[in-house]
Amino acid sequence: MEQLRTQFPADDFSLLALVLLLPLVGAFVCGVFGKRLGKEGVRTMALSAVGGSFVLCLAAFAMLTSAGGAHGAGHGGGGHAVTRFTWTAWRWFTIDGGTSTVPIDVAFSVDPLSGVMMLVVTGVGFLIHLYSSEYMSKDPGYYRFFAYLNLFVFSMLVLILGDNLAVLFVGWEGVGLCSYLLIGFWFGEDRKASAGKKAFITNRIGDFGLLVAMAMLVYYAGTLRFSTLETSQSALSQMRTVWPIPGLELPSWLIPAQPIRASVPTLVALALFVGCMGKSAQLPLYVWLPDAMAGPTPVSALIHAATMVTAGIYLVARTSFLFVLSPFAMAVVAGTGALTALFAASIAFAQTDLKKVLAYSTVSQLGYMFVGVGSGAFAAGFFHVLTHAFFKGCLFLCAGSVIHAMHHVIHDEEGSQDMRNMGGLRKHMPITHATFLISCLAIAGCPMTSGFFSKDEVLFKAFSSQIAATQPGLWVAPAWYGQAIYALGVLGAVCTAFYMFRAYFLTFWGDFRGWTIVKGHVAHHGDDEHAHGEGPREGAAPHESPWQMTLPLAVLAFFALFGGLVYAEPLHLTALERFWHPVFASASTHVVERAGAHAMMWPLLGVGATVFAVGAGGAYYVYAQQGGKPAEAFVAAAPSLHRIVRDKWRVDEFYEATVLGFIDAMGDTAVAIDKWLIDGVIARLTAAVTQLFGAGLRLLQTGRVQVYAAGMVLGVAGLGWFILTPHAEAEIDSSKLRSSGDVTFTAAPGHGYSYRWAEGEAAQSGDFTAAATFSTKLERCQTKQVRLEVRNVFGGTTETSFTTCREMGNDCCTAKPAAGDATARPQTPLQAPARAPMGGTP
Amino acid sequence: MTIPIHYFLVLAAALFATGAVGFLLRRNLLVLLMSIELMLNAVNLTLVAFNRLHPQNHGGQVLAFFVIAIAAAEAAVGLAIVLAYFRLRGTVRSDEATALKH
Repeated sequence: MEQLRTQFPADDFSLLALVLLLPLVGAFVCGVFGKRLGKEGVRTMALSAVGGSFVLCLAAFAMLTSAGGAHGAGHGGGGHAVTRFTWTAWRWFTIDGGTSTVPIDVAFSVDPLSGVMMLVVTGVGFLIHLYSSEYMSKDPGYYRFFAYLNLFVFSMLVLILGDNLAVLFVGWEGVGLCSYLLIGFWFGEDRKASAGKKAFITNRIGDFGLLVAMAMLVYYAGTLRFSTLETSQSALSQMRTVWPIPGLELPSWLIPAQPIRASVPTLVALALFVGCMGKSAQLPLYVWLPDAMAGPTPVSALIHAATMVTAGIYLVARTSFLFVLSPFAMAVVAGTGALTALFAASIAFAQTDLKKVLAYSTVSQLGYMFVGVGSGAFAAGFFHVLTHAFFKGCLFLCAGSVIHAMHHVIHDEEGSQDMRNMGGLRKHMPITHATFLISCLAIAGCPMTSGFFSKDEVLFKAFSSQIAATQPGLWVAPAWYGQAIYALGVLGAVCTAFYMFRAYFLTFWGDFRGWTIVKGHVAHHGDDEHAHGEGPREGAAPHESPWQMTLPLAVLAFFALFGGLVYAEPLHLTALERFWHPVFASASTHVVERAGAHAMMWPLLGVGATVFAVGAGGAYYVYAQQGGKPAEAFVAAAPSLHRIVRDKWRVDEFYEATVLGFIDAMGDTAVAIDKWLIDGVIARLTAAVTQLFGAGLRLLQTGRVQVYAAGMVLGVAGLGWFILTPHAEAEIDSSKLRSSGDVTFTAAPGHGYSYRWAEGEAAQSGDFTAAATFSTKLERCQTKQVRLEVRNVFGGTTETSFTTCREMGNDCCTAKPAAGDATARPQTPLQAPARAPMGGTP
Repeated sequence: MTIPIHYFLVLAAALFATGAVGFLLRRNLLVLLMSIELMLNAVNLTLVAFNRLHPQNHGGQVLAFFVIAIAAAEAAVGLAIVLAYFRLRGTVRSDEATALKH
């Protein structure tokens, strides 16, 4: 440990470089050489990359805990600094902020919060890599899969370990890219490819919010570093007018009597939260996550349950010091979370696809996490991220195991995810069954499991906490707001317990229904190695998965069961809370506990246990004891309600009609403009003009040599005429006309030209000379006429005259119509130039 | 007594004009070639006339020889074209030679 500490000092913690580099190298090797390496090689490379990264993370974490201990960690001290190991790679760029130049470094740091998260990412990531090595073993895109998966781990680590928002944003986009690549992993199917696009585009909307937040932070705070931002909060406590926008002309009915003002933290926090909404699938941007289940199941477990989707919660927790400055933003976070939790739970009731149930459950649980961080319970909310990573990762992997087994039996992708085809699997898949049950208990909130501690801590904090205003004039959530959030959360928890156990009973209890339902697909796969012949089959029952798949299940289930003990407030086990305390210390000062709330802790725990009992018991009654009859009766009683819930409240259709419809309409308009205006009018007009000229010029193109020769003769004759006649033109330099009245005329040169200058209208006299320039001087407001006569080498002459006036700013020249308002300009010859006849001797 | 230069020039101009008009107006390709020769010889005449005026390095006469050489080559190529054209179309009328149009 000492050796490690001298090797990697806290301010140059290059261990992080290794942590990051391993998955990146893994991704590179798998992606570029994967085809030649073969499956064995790819598996070794990918697993060792993430595994090695995990071991290094463990080392970093151990250093972090021991360093934290050395600081003398005490609970509630609030004074001691956060233990943070930083590694700055290089100066990325500098950008002009509102008041100063802001340098942006490629820097990484690890503190208790990111330390725990990086352990989850690499640890759960490793387990899922192990699982995938078996799950994907028959896929031709094996190497591609692991390249993406390793790249994802790298991007996620960049996101977590980024020392400033810009680096975090790189990781944020990186995980979005990997998510897109992995959702559309089987891009041959249109549905899956478009699911990937949907996820990516929906995330872009959120990412825009994140960019805006970064721009505002650069402008107002002059930094993007988290640690610097935390200490420069005072720079942010200004009020800004957001409507009407200053300097924007608006119709009067849009201007309110009182300008709407908001504090800078509110604006920044709300913009950040838009980013979180996209990445963490909150209302109204949650729609991509259920569709993301089109990807391989391990991807759903790793990216769309355990790690990436929690990036939003991580971001809020990371910038907690900013969020607490704005009670309004916190209320928005908590409210959105609570609504999402309940809304997504309601949809999960009517889903028949096992992965879809889990997907909506994920959206719902993410809602709980936002309730936690939005209520000021950053530690509790982030603890739910941790436990959720375990039990939801485990649930998804169980689902993958079930689908794997189902697929061997019925050879139909849709059908092997449909819970109506499952049933009775506990006899065939004992390990999967046991781990699914444990995770199900955890997510439903069975007392003493990890989910119980985290969820009830979140709900208790939502009930008991309030965000205090940091400065006068800020909006503060009313007293009932916390209770309302709590009520929504409890309702959602009942739903969670019910639909999770519904999935459990449908999948594992009763009799296996898979043989009778999907008959048509058997004949099609007749020559498969798992052929079953015709009709209802015997034997070839679904079987348990190999150890590479069950081991991760067991490990995750273990943590789902006992992981709660690191932060079980009712049992006074608060190791994790103490560990994280320095990170959230400055934020927690603004979170006050409602008077008398602490006494409510045990009654509310009772409520939590009751919620579990009601939900799980209800599911047991409906789906295990009665075999689903009450549910069928309910569907028969309210068919339209069932239909609309099954259709996910038709939100996708609503978006289709409004947002997409609007964009499509714009597209259609653009197409119409292109078709009718650009192609129809402009292009045709151009073509018509060209054709007209073409038709005219074609007449000249007779193909007869003599006509062309005639043209040549005419051209030469014209040129000759131009050369033989003299041209009297001159440039007038009137730059000094205003100041001194001097004007200089310079005649244009020509072959053998000689000149004769004269003033006024008097008759010409004297000889032609070689003097090409002529100067004269004007009095104020005087108008003068200068005449120039030119003679060429053949003796031909011509003449022109110029009228000049010295304007003094009192418009004395305008009275003379010939001069106009210009100070000097050449006049057209007063009379037609007199040309001498051609001829003479050389 | 020497002949003044503009005698030569006027004669050359007349020859050139004859050639040019002939080239533009006649329809027989052989006559066109002859008209070209006429114009070239008019130019040759001006060149040697000016050489008389400026005899320092006989640039005019040298140039005239060049023109004669080029005229010979031109006549050879031109006659070959006319011959080929006649074999192809059976005529030497220039107004029927409109293939360039296309």
